[in-house]
Amino acid sequence: MTKACEKWKDQLLEAALTGARPKDLQVHLQSCRDCTTELRDLEALRARQDSMLPLLVKGSQPSTGFRARVLAAAEASGERKLGMRWRSWKLAGAMATAATVLTIGAIWYRATAQKISDDELAAAQKLAEWRAPSDSLLAIPGQEILRTTPKLGESYLKVPMSKIEEE
Amino acid sequence: MTGTYVSALIAKAEAQTTDAGFGERIAENQRRVFQIAFSVLGNSADAEDVAQEAFLRAYRKLDSLREAEKFRAWVNRIVFRLALNRKRGHRRGMARDMAWQITEVPTVVDGAKEAEKQVMLNQLRREIECLPGKLRSVLQLSLVEEMDAGDVGAVLGIPAGTVRSRLHTARKVLLEVMR
Repeated sequence: MTKACEKWKDQLLEAALTGARPKDLQVHLQSCRDCTTELRDLEALRARQDSMLPLLVKGSQPSTGFRARVLAAAEASGERKLGMRWRSWKLAGAMATAATVLTIGAIWYRATAQKISDDELAAAQKLAEWRAPSDSLLAIPGQEILRTTPKLGESYLKVPMSKIEEE
Repeated sequence: MTGTYVSALIAKAEAQTTDAGFGERIAENQRRVFQIAFSVLGNSADAEDVAQEAFLRAYRKLDSLREAEKFRAWVNRIVFRLALNRKRGHRRGMARDMAWQITEVPTVVDGAKEAEKQVMLNQLRREIECLPGKLRSVLQLSLVEEMDAGDVGAVLGIPAGTVRSRLHTARKVLLEVMR
């Protein structure tokens, strides 16, 4: 392929792959022997690749007993899975029990705490309203006696001050 | 008569020991799953390991993969990903850089034609390995039996049209580098 034919490279590859030959390429091929040869070589190479590529994978398959080995491994992992499931269930059960106990405890505590609080409130009310029995004594004539009783330094007798001063 | 009896026994044992239907799923998919791993890794031992791992993972998710089509799509994706991971691991360890050279294709050559074929196959493997990742994945998966553009797209998470377009580009590159 000459340097001038470089621009046809991509179209030649496309033509080799798809078989499609645009009109401008056809015109060029009629006048260019190099490109015609190049296209023929590319088509031959593509045909070889077409037949070879599938061989890279085609026909390959797992060895005999593959299925049995997978099943055995699955069974073993299944036991582990069951074990793990059982452990998970145990853990979940323990957590559920703990949650239930905590909930019941909280409800009981709340109910009890409310009762005590009412009792305490009633007791406090009673205490606030409580009066000593002697209070009633103080409220009747005794209270007047206490009020009129002279304090320290005072006398029972009311002596007018002017008289004392005259004496 | 004995064969039937043995088959029945095996079926019974399978039903008892593993989830029902899993053995059937393996039988339906094992060839394709193996080939997907093989297309990436290029050797049977690794491909089989990866295929087994993929089936075991599918087994753990069997409850959600009861439908055959779901199972097929899921196991295709997982085996491809596992194979890529394995390959990356190998590359990191620099242990299997000759993976494509160690294949199941017969190494004993019979005559010039066979030798030429062998040379061509080795060259193809090398060139495929040199392709950009996106083109290589599409080409490798397209080589697997029973995998159409839709299946390849499902594995790679791209539309079937993109698969066809990348495949065309990959073939074009291969043609150019090998001419």
